[in-house]
Amino acid sequence: MTRRCYAVCVIAIIITLAVPVLAQAPKTWVPPKTPWGDPDLQGIWPGNMGVPMQRPQNLGERTALTDEEFAQRVAQAKRQAEADGQSFAASDTRVGIGPPSYWTERGKPTRQTSLIIDPPDGRLPPLTPEAEKYRNEARGGKGLPGEWRGEADSYDDLNIYYRCITRGLLGSIIPVVYNNGNQILQAPGYVVFRNEMIHESRVIPLDGRGHVDSKIKMFMGDSRGHWEGNTLVVETTNFTDKDAIGSNGAGYPGDPGYHSEQLKIVERFTRVSENKLEYRATVIDEKTWTRPWTILIELERNDNYQVLEYACHEGNYAMEDILSGARAAEQK
Amino acid sequence: MRLKGDDRMLRKMPAALVLTAALAMSVPLWAHHAFQAEFDDKKPVHLVGKVTKMEWINPHAWIHIDVTESDGKVTSWMVECGSPNIMLRRGFTKESLEFGSEIVVEGYRAKNGSNRANGSSVTFKDGRRLFVGGSNPDIPAEFRQ
Repeated sequence: MTRRCYAVCVIAIIITLAVPVLAQAPKTWVPPKTPWGDPDLQGIWPGNMGVPMQRPQNLGERTALTDEEFAQRVAQAKRQAEADGQSFAASDTRVGIGPPSYWTERGKPTRQTSLIIDPPDGRLPPLTPEAEKYRNEARGGKGLPGEWRGEADSYDDLNIYYRCITRGLLGSIIPVVYNNGNQILQAPGYVVFRNEMIHESRVIPLDGRGHVDSKIKMFMGDSRGHWEGNTLVVETTNFTDKDAIGSNGAGYPGDPGYHSEQLKIVERFTRVSENKLEYRATVIDEKTWTRPWTILIELERNDNYQVLEYACHEGNYAMEDILSGARAAEQK
Repeated sequence: MRLKGDDRMLRKMPAALVLTAALAMSVPLWAHHAFQAEFDDKKPVHLVGKVTKMEWINPHAWIHIDVTESDGKVTSWMVECGSPNIMLRRGFTKESLEFGSEIVVEGYRAKNGSNRANGSSVTFKDGRRLFVGGSNPDIPAEFRQ
């Protein structure tokens, strides 16, 4: 073999080896830019209700379902869709008292085993002893608003979601039975994140300004954003402790529930393809949880989805019916 | 939420399928408010009445009907429905229910004893469904009816 031929062979081998390596290298999708140069996240990104908040314990640290498990979940969704179509058709069957199926969205099956991705077991970390005591002893042992399961003496026994006030910062993005619309709008120096239920819009400055005075406490907190590469990072502080984080934005058993005023939420919005946006939120509140925890919500773009107004206070007959129902029960 | 037929289904399902079902059902399915607190499960109602009004309001729409009792007395009832947003997404528009239409409601009466009920099952008198499920935009096309 001549020296020249050897050199050509070596180059050919290197190219042969290099091509598959290059082909396997993860392709980084580059999001489009706004006219002023920020990564463009704008669009309608409805949430999908198909993933549980906490992972069933038997799945351990597994973040994705196997092919077989996923096929079963798809089959289950299909059966559910069929049942939904039939269950309110027959007039001679006994009906349940819960919300009928035509009220709810079921979501699209995905492989994700839980919204919580950290801790690695996909479960909420334990409460601090202080938080446990606070929850148990709140309101003379009745529990915080919304956790009380007896008859409601006052609107104060019901949580602020029932009262049509808000689902708070994290509750507003956690997918629930209906109205999971989210919209992102951008302007130079600002990002607006709008949630359909209950009617929230955060106008988030990106100019590096500090948070408002620490004495000011809000249900949705005070958000400040910045870009880390193509990821929008939003840090929110100045929370009230009158709100609970819930899959329902409320504070039902099994939900994360109430937090302290020290709560800090760090959200990361990364558009990973034309129609997919990964939303991560890390919850840091050392007064309430023994360690931070993180959720991942995969949002799929759907510009045909209309985000409709959800001003619910004026039409909230349920509040009147719940309180007057409790008074009627007392008369018996 | 109703789980009609699920007991029968659960008996037939292998363990792995039960796991999947449990996964799907572990997602909270309660709606905006406490049904048990608002309606009385010991007071089922069966109403046949003519539509007089529909309130397209959040968090839940309400259909008003006039029910003529056997002695000829007319009583007005209100029937709670889903939120206007999800009803619109399911294809229910203001044309879906005409003034004067006769509907049949199966539900439960409000605990406060008023003429309000939840509409667990709502059909036209000829048996047609008032709310047609399966057009939910979040359900993949292959699952739609």
